[in-house]
Amino acid sequence: MYTLFSGLYKYVFQKDEYCILILGLDNAGKTTFLEQTKTKFSKNYKGMSLSKITTTVGLNIGTIDVGKARLMFWDLGGQDELQSLWDKYYAESHGVIYVIDSTDEERLSESKKAFEKMISSEVLEGVPLLVLANKQDVLVRLVSSLC
Amino acid sequence: MGQPHKAKFRNLFTLILVLRVSSAGGFFSSLFSGLFGTREMRILILGLDGAGKTTILYRLQVGEVVTTIPTIGFNVETVTYKNLKFQVWDLGGQTSIRPYWRCYYSNTDAVIYVVDSSDRDRMGISKSELVAMLEEEELKKAILVVFANKQDMEQAMTPTEVANALGLPALKDRKWQIFKTSATKGTGLDEAMEWLVDSLKSRQ
Repeated sequence: MYTLFSGLYKYVFQKDEYCILILGLDNAGKTTFLEQTKTKFSKNYKGMSLSKITTTVGLNIGTIDVGKARLMFWDLGGQDELQSLWDKYYAESHGVIYVIDSTDEERLSESKKAFEKMISSEVLEGVPLLVLANKQDVLVRLVSSLC
Repeated sequence: MGQPHKAKFRNLFTLILVLRVSSAGGFFSSLFSGLFGTREMRILILGLDGAGKTTILYRLQVGEVVTTIPTIGFNVETVTYKNLKFQVWDLGGQTSIRPYWRCYYSNTDAVIYVVDSSDRDRMGISKSELVAMLEEEELKKAILVVFANKQDMEQAMTPTEVANALGLPALKDRKWQIFKTSATKGTGLDEAMEWLVDSLKSRQ
């Protein structure tokens, strides 16, 4: 009987957990995106002031609930040297969000290179990918087809 | 009728006066901290012996390089940074006294883990101490900031190398950040503390 009820309880209330990686070059806006998402989707989260966000040299995490799913975000540092840490997270990721700074035309090819390296990883095969052409509020921006 | 009333009033007045004199500081500071949440943060500085923990502690507190000797036991100082008060514990890092670290874990807000970036041979030991520490239930909520110290040394490993050597990418449910520092030169400490202050303030 207990198993039945606990099973029912789990079925009704337990959320599916998914791990989502947030990747992209440094200064693309990954941490800001994470903070905004956390502020928007979790009720009691004040969020850190966006101007206080500095370069990530490590890992930021965030958990939000959307419907029946619980999403756990891993926001990794994007600097060239830190990209070598990315693949350590691939095996456990259910999805990838790739953030691009749409105003930075110069580094677009660099972003492309990092993206191609990431996407060619076998571990990530079949994993859903969301690409964000970020900083659309800034005047000099690229249209998304260019990216 | 009027007299006792007056006396009572005066008593009350004295009582208020006494109360104000005796605990004004405590009362107002607790009111203030209640309003603005300026609780003293508890920070541990951990790492192997000779990593530079004590030098970092006093760099943060007095802004100078002090001559240190190996810490047997602990140093504790109050450090104020950006209006946030920290109670910073620097625990001795020698093999024989590392088992005592755990006695200080409860109510810790953040751990500063200091690594000698030039000591490649002992990176493995540093890793296993870190891993063991992070498994502790009492530190589940603590923010981790790693100082890749002694960056002024020629053979120093880069922060990414240190991160890999410590197995930091295996941490999946904890916010962490690594900074390259040189406690003797004083570089990197400001950035690291600034990040720590912002992270502590915005903690969920």
